Amino acid sequence: MGAVLQAGGDVAGTTGSTGTTASAGGHGDERISFRGPMQRLLTSPEIGALVGTVMVWSLFWSTGQKFGNAGSTASWLDVAAPLGIMAVAIGLLMIGGEFDLSAGVMTGSTGIMVGLFAQKFMGDGATLWIAVPVAFLAAGAIGWFNGTLVNRTKLPSFIVTLATFFILRGANLVFSKRLVDKVLVENVNSETVTGFEPFRKAFASIHNKETFALRDPIFLTLVIVGIAAVIWSFLEQSLVRRERPNSAVVPVVGVGAVAALAGFGLLHNSDGTSMNVLSGVVGLGGMLVAIAGFAAWRYETHVPTGSWVTHRGRTPLAVGLGCLIVAYLVTRKLDLNQQRVLLSVPAHGLKVAIGVVALVVGAGLVTMRGVRAMRAQVGGTKRSPLLIPKLVATAAIGALLMLVGVLTFLQLTTEQGFRALVQVGLGGVGLVALLAAKGAARRESSRAQLSIGVIIAAALVAYGFLLRHDSGAVRFRSGLFTAMMLFATLALANALVEYRQVKRQRADHDADHLGRLLGVIGMAMVALGFGIRLFFTGSNFRVSVLWWILITAIAAYTLARTRYGNWIFAVGGNKEAARAIGVPADQVKVGLFMMVSLVGCLVGMINTLRFTSVAASQGIGEEFEYIIAAVVGGCLLTGGYGSVIGASLGAMIMAMSINGIPAARWNSDNRFIFLGAVLFIAVLVNQKIRQKAQEAR
Amino acid sequence: MSALLELVGLSKFFGNVTALENITTSVGAGAVTCVLGDNGAGKSTLIKILSGVHQQSEGEFLLDGNEVRFASPRDARAAGIATVYQDLAMAPLMSVWRNFFLGSEPGRLGRFDTSFAKKTAREEMAKMGIDVRDLDQPVGTLSGGERQSVAIARAVYFGARVLILDEPTSALGVKQSGVVLKYVRAAAERGLGVIFITHNPHHAYPVGNRFLVLNRGKSLGDFAKAEISREELTRLMAGGAELEALQHELEVR
Repeated sequence: MGAVLQAGGDVAGTTGSTGTTASAGGHGDERISFRGPMQRLLTSPEIGALVGTVMVWSLFWSTGQKFGNAGSTASWLDVAAPLGIMAVAIGLLMIGGEFDLSAGVMTGSTGIMVGLFAQKFMGDGATLWIAVPVAFLAAGAIGWFNGTLVNRTKLPSFIVTLATFFILRGANLVFSKRLVDKVLVENVNSETVTGFEPFRKAFASIHNKETFALRDPIFLTLVIVGIAAVIWSFLEQSLVRRERPNSAVVPVVGVGAVAALAGFGLLHNSDGTSMNVLSGVVGLGGMLVAIAGFAAWRYETHVPTGSWVTHRGRTPLAVGLGCLIVAYLVTRKLDLNQQRVLLSVPAHGLKVAIGVVALVVGAGLVTMRGVRAMRAQVGGTKRSPLLIPKLVATAAIGALLMLVGVLTFLQLTTEQGFRALVQVGLGGVGLVALLAAKGAARRESSRAQLSIGVIIAAALVAYGFLLRHDSGAVRFRSGLFTAMMLFATLALANALVEYRQVKRQRADHDADHLGRLLGVIGMAMVALGFGIRLFFTGSNFRVSVLWWILITAIAAYTLARTRYGNWIFAVGGNKEAARAIGVPADQVKVGLFMMVSLVGCLVGMINTLRFTSVAASQGIGEEFEYIIAAVVGGCLLTGGYGSVIGASLGAMIMAMSINGIPAARWNSDNRFIFLGAVLFIAVLVNQKIRQKAQEAR
Repeated sequence: MSALLELVGLSKFFGNVTALENITTSVGAGAVTCVLGDNGAGKSTLIKILSGVHQQSEGEFLLDGNEVRFASPRDARAAGIATVYQDLAMAPLMSVWRNFFLGSEPGRLGRFDTSFAKKTAREEMAKMGIDVRDLDQPVGTLSGGERQSVAIARAVYFGARVLILDEPTSALGVKQSGVVLKYVRAAAERGLGVIFITHNPHHAYPVGNRFLVLNRGKSLGDFAKAEISREELTRLMAGGAELEALQHELEVR
């Protein structure tokens, strides 16, 4: 028992789950036997990365003029692909409980090996048909060596692969200097290397396709049907199905669906303002009717009870609305259409004011924490004589840190950056607070829930109109406005459904299965739709993106749906237990190390054949970026938990910031600060959200 | 009641050390045999012989009336003897159903048939009377008793005929122990022979059909339930005469 209790304690310590509270045990009847789709999403490991991806994308989308269009997307995907491929591999290895510090340099070593082999083997080089398989074999052997050494010596993989890292790094220098007298292997191209073209096609080709007539209809169809499937999936997983569908509302659903389709179709094809407004209203209204009608047709209804007014939801509601108002006021002062200058607050008094506010907020935050901690410690009975000086000192330090932080930030950012940060940050906080208000109201009564839902929808609509009125930028006028209206409609539909329909309290195998299937299909359709719309624009997309998608898909499938996935989780979580129950633990670990090295070789090929040259220092230092991406994606440093889709999203966040920061005309050196902050925030968000969701079990 | 597993005059020597001497007991299908003993009584050695880690030095070890001698734990498992150790072989961060099928995942060609696994895990646990609120929750968030019950249900599902439980209640509170005892009984009612190792006679007496009491490698007796009362068992277990001597000594002071 002891070991498991220990491990249970680790769960509580590292992931912030509720190992201790759950061990209270109890009876079946006081337990919740079912978690809805939303709660499952919130407890999933990739939630932090998912939120981060959306936030970072919106941030750069609203600051950069070009970020988000096809060309810019192609260029950040180009950065993301190799990083993402490696992050997935490292994520899998980390779930298996190990690290590989040689993964970065491996991408360089295999490139150098192929380059030298192709140019210098036996005098004038060998064909790539030999060089590339040899590189993969060598990579596999190095992975096998790493894994076997870790198993045999029981040393931390950190140490073992650090050794491999240095050996490979040295070998890169020695061989390249000796054979080509440089620390760079150049001209790996079709003139010097035989068999170059087929491999370049496979690993580094560029694809661009011009748009075609049916592109937008296909895009629209896929996205609309996909979103409908996702909505159905959510309803199916959270409501109780009627025994017999209520056929009386079928016409309503039909009218709603037709109106929605007609409205969105017209909206896409029209340019006139009045036409846009009309088709928008028809489309959104139709959507609302269709969703509510569908829910009434298929799911059990109940008579709503309770008061319309919420009590517990008041504070978060006020906070949420306050955040939105402040965000809007800040936005008004700093318009996107002004030049992209470093932020300079005009009035001298304002500078002082900001400084004072920073000082006060810093001191206040620290003092609050300090007082609370001391109260908890001392229990209010005994006071150390140093208490007051200690508090003052920490408050002063907190205030200074805050001041320095704020001033540094104001020095570095542009007006647009500040504006976007305020909007995304405050807007995000506001939205979370509003959702919390709705959650609190829902626990009170379905009526209170509806009234909060209506307020949220109204706030979103008002915010959308204010932004549209205020800003001259096309993105704010069209994109953000549309998104706001869409969210408002969805929020209203959600509130209506929760008002009318009975929420499911227990698992229903068939419904859950169907719901999950619909969710996956729907999201795949939306992704495919956006993929088609992005791809057929004449922009240059690299084939490496396909490799990335392929590797992520294979890894995700392996982890979730094969016995090897189960074994990977097990050897990472409790190797001895896994071995005792018959899992070939050593083989699994060796396999993981080999997989990482082979994938490293794949990335080496992608880079080498693309740039036609490799530096001996290629990939050095990147191993930490892979680890960061995996950690942002929710992989636990201690193993046994995580997600490869999260790791992919983590890589996307990093790539977006590498490309988005210069696009927003911020100093591109900021990206390191940004990455550090993202790592920090994503991990905190992961931990917090999972903790909250676990408590709600 | 025909004996599923029978030990006759079993002994185990490690060099000059006698770990077990002349042990005789049996467990029938659908019955619970409790092995009681203080620390160092030889309980662990007995488990290790039964589960194939060690081999007996003398005496007979009969399974279905045929003498057996297991070369390895794998052999014992193949013969249908499953052991649930104190430090259950589970990964705390993995979900209940993933742990349930760990190492024996259903499905062909490496595929893990997850819907079958979830369904079966739920059904098997329900058969044992275990109601886990959420199969997707990590095993680490279950209570100690629930974890034991998952391990027991798992052993039963994977074809165990004899189930050896190594002190399943030793780290648990009173209520949790009661839960586990219920599952011990449930396993026996499904036709398994259960060997329940414990040092707590109060846990053993309500569930056991037979009681083997060990002390320093020797058997203090092998009793059917009708032959011994709870008080006698407790006295025997606590060291009997030795304890009385100790009590006497303490009172004199």
